[in-house]
Amino acid sequence: MAATEFDAVVVGAGPAGSIAALTLSQKGVKTLLLERGERPGAKNMFGGTLAWCPAPEELIPGFWEKAPWEREVVRRVLTVVAETSATSMVFRSDDVDRPFRGRVTLFRPAFDAWLAAQAQAAGVTVVCGCTVEGLVVCGGRVCGVRVGGSDGVVEAPLVVAGDGALSFLAQEAGLHAGVHAEQMAVGVRALYALEEDEIDGRFGLVRGQGATNEYLGGTEGVRGGGFVYTQTESLSVGLVLHLDSLKTRGFAPYDLLERFVGSVHVAPLLRGAQLVEYSAHLLPEAGLSMVPRLSTSGFLVAGDAGGLCYTNGLTQEGMNLAMTSGHLAGLVGAEALEVGDVSAARLAAYDRRLRESFVLRDLKTYDRAIKLLRRDRLFSDYPEVVGAIMEQLYASDGAPKRRVGSIARGALRDRIPIRETLADLIRIGRSYL
Amino acid sequence: MNLDDIFDLVSYRIHPEPHIVVDHDTCASCSHRACTFACPARCYEWNEVRGRVDFAYESCLECGTCLLVCDLGALDWNYPAGGYGVRFRAT
Ligand SMILES: Cc1cc2nc3c(=O)[nH]c(=O)nc-3n(C[C@H](O)[C@H](O)[C@H](O)COP(=O)(O)OP(=O)(O)OC[C@H]3O[C@@H](n4cnc5c(N)ncnc54)[C@H](O)[C@@H]3O)c2cc1C
Ligand code: SF4
Ligand code: SF4
Repeated sequence: MAATEFDAVVVGAGPAGSIAALTLSQKGVKTLLLERGERPGAKNMFGGTLAWCPAPEELIPGFWEKAPWEREVVRRVLTVVAETSATSMVFRSDDVDRPFRGRVTLFRPAFDAWLAAQAQAAGVTVVCGCTVEGLVVCGGRVCGVRVGGSDGVVEAPLVVAGDGALSFLAQEAGLHAGVHAEQMAVGVRALYALEEDEIDGRFGLVRGQGATNEYLGGTEGVRGGGFVYTQTESLSVGLVLHLDSLKTRGFAPYDLLERFVGSVHVAPLLRGAQLVEYSAHLLPEAGLSMVPRLSTSGFLVAGDAGGLCYTNGLTQEGMNLAMTSGHLAGLVGAEALEVGDVSAARLAAYDRRLRESFVLRDLKTYDRAIKLLRRDRLFSDYPEVVGAIMEQLYASDGAPKRRVGSIARGALRDRIPIRETLADLIRIGRSYL
Repeated sequence: MNLDDIFDLVSYRIHPEPHIVVDHDTCASCSHRACTFACPARCYEWNEVRGRVDFAYESCLECGTCLLVCDLGALDWNYPAGGYGVRFRAT
């Protein structure tokens, strides 16, 4: 590759990188998109559902009709798993009004390849099978990337890092000092093939509708949770496990996954389904506390690379944040290139735009919930308490019935000191109310 | 998940050189050997006879877990060269 052929180099053809590249190209910036996988999406896995956000529709009119997603989620189940019981909350939306503002399930390898193809069609040069090994710095300013194999260098006044959760590039640029086990979770997923009609029947869906089942507890006390997501002709079954908790508890992710798959909650859903793939991927889970400054001279960071991914216990958000931050990075980058000023001061506009957008506002709104989800007890004692309360509520053993409050006090007393329960209740209240 | 069959479940283009290199001397003083259970692909195994972790890079899913659970810095961790390593199915 000849030097200075491009105005911008975007690293990583995930949702953040492809949207950033597409935005830049639409603004007339000569853009190169580099991806280490043999095709975009080859390295990417998620649960998962993509929540509606405006950026893709703005860039690709008719995006939600055209993009290769699988099912539109209408049914969501949250289950608290105890040793000998499980308690669920089922939400079903039959609000079929349009325009669509919901969530869809999808396959990353198919979706990411399609999205990168949209960028390519808009003039982006997409090169796959190319691992970026580091940054090129000229006079304190990022001015290009080093690419694998030979001592290849691609120079460009602007580099956008969409290189995912581990982002070695954001670290090399000095924006953070490396990510830690305390900030990350590992997701493991088993993919099962099952006929479309079978999925519809088992989850109470009609054609094209999708369901998500999420589980809290049942991970041997390791902080995290389980999921079953419906695609058109397959189910994604997996666990998300906080790395520090996994490490101290000493469990293996595949053992926990095997137990989950074989549990009474999941096994019936998988009857006759065929296991076709196993995969693993990291997710940032520490919220605002891990989001560094996302810009410096000649350099912007988008998506997971900037820690822009979280769960508040009810929903998992990442792809929508990646696409939205990629979009803003593209806009700010294009404006900076146009006026010929890619200084840190100029590019700081990106951090500002992020703070104004739902991306950093949502992370702020749920900051307490994200911290709450780092409390071990939520994944061990409390599911048992919920189970014990429900058991007794529904029990009929000849003894006089008690009120819920009295049952709850009894169930809590054996496990958690009252003072701590109160403190936790306040925490929970503050997190969500 | 029975990982004995991982090569039937996951597609790889295996590079002749490992992308992660373990410094066995550093591992000698490791108290938890978290890599041996936390790696989702079971790439690390404690070898009692040799008194060290054996590492098999071929089935690596490139997740980064080992890098983050190893607090002694025993790993020279890199992504595989472009186009190599794991490749998740497109359908
Ligand atoms: C189990 C699991 C469940 C999830 N569930 C959900 C969900 O339900 N909803 C949701 O919105 N999000 C979910 N997420 C999070 C979501 O997947 C991420 O937030 C999203 O993928 C981030 O996009 P990204 O483009 O920033 O990074 P990625 O999708 O990780 O893309 C990074 C890209 O960069 C490439 N790359 C990395 N380093 C280099 C390099 N050095 N050189 C060249 N290329 C490189 C990678 O190959 C990859 O293609 C889930 C994640 C996991 C693991
Ligand atoms: S690689 Fe790290 S975690 Fe594993 S045994 Fe060596 S020092 Fe311990
Ligand atoms: S990157 Fe993940 S799959 Fe590969 S060896 Fe490390 S923990 Fe195992």
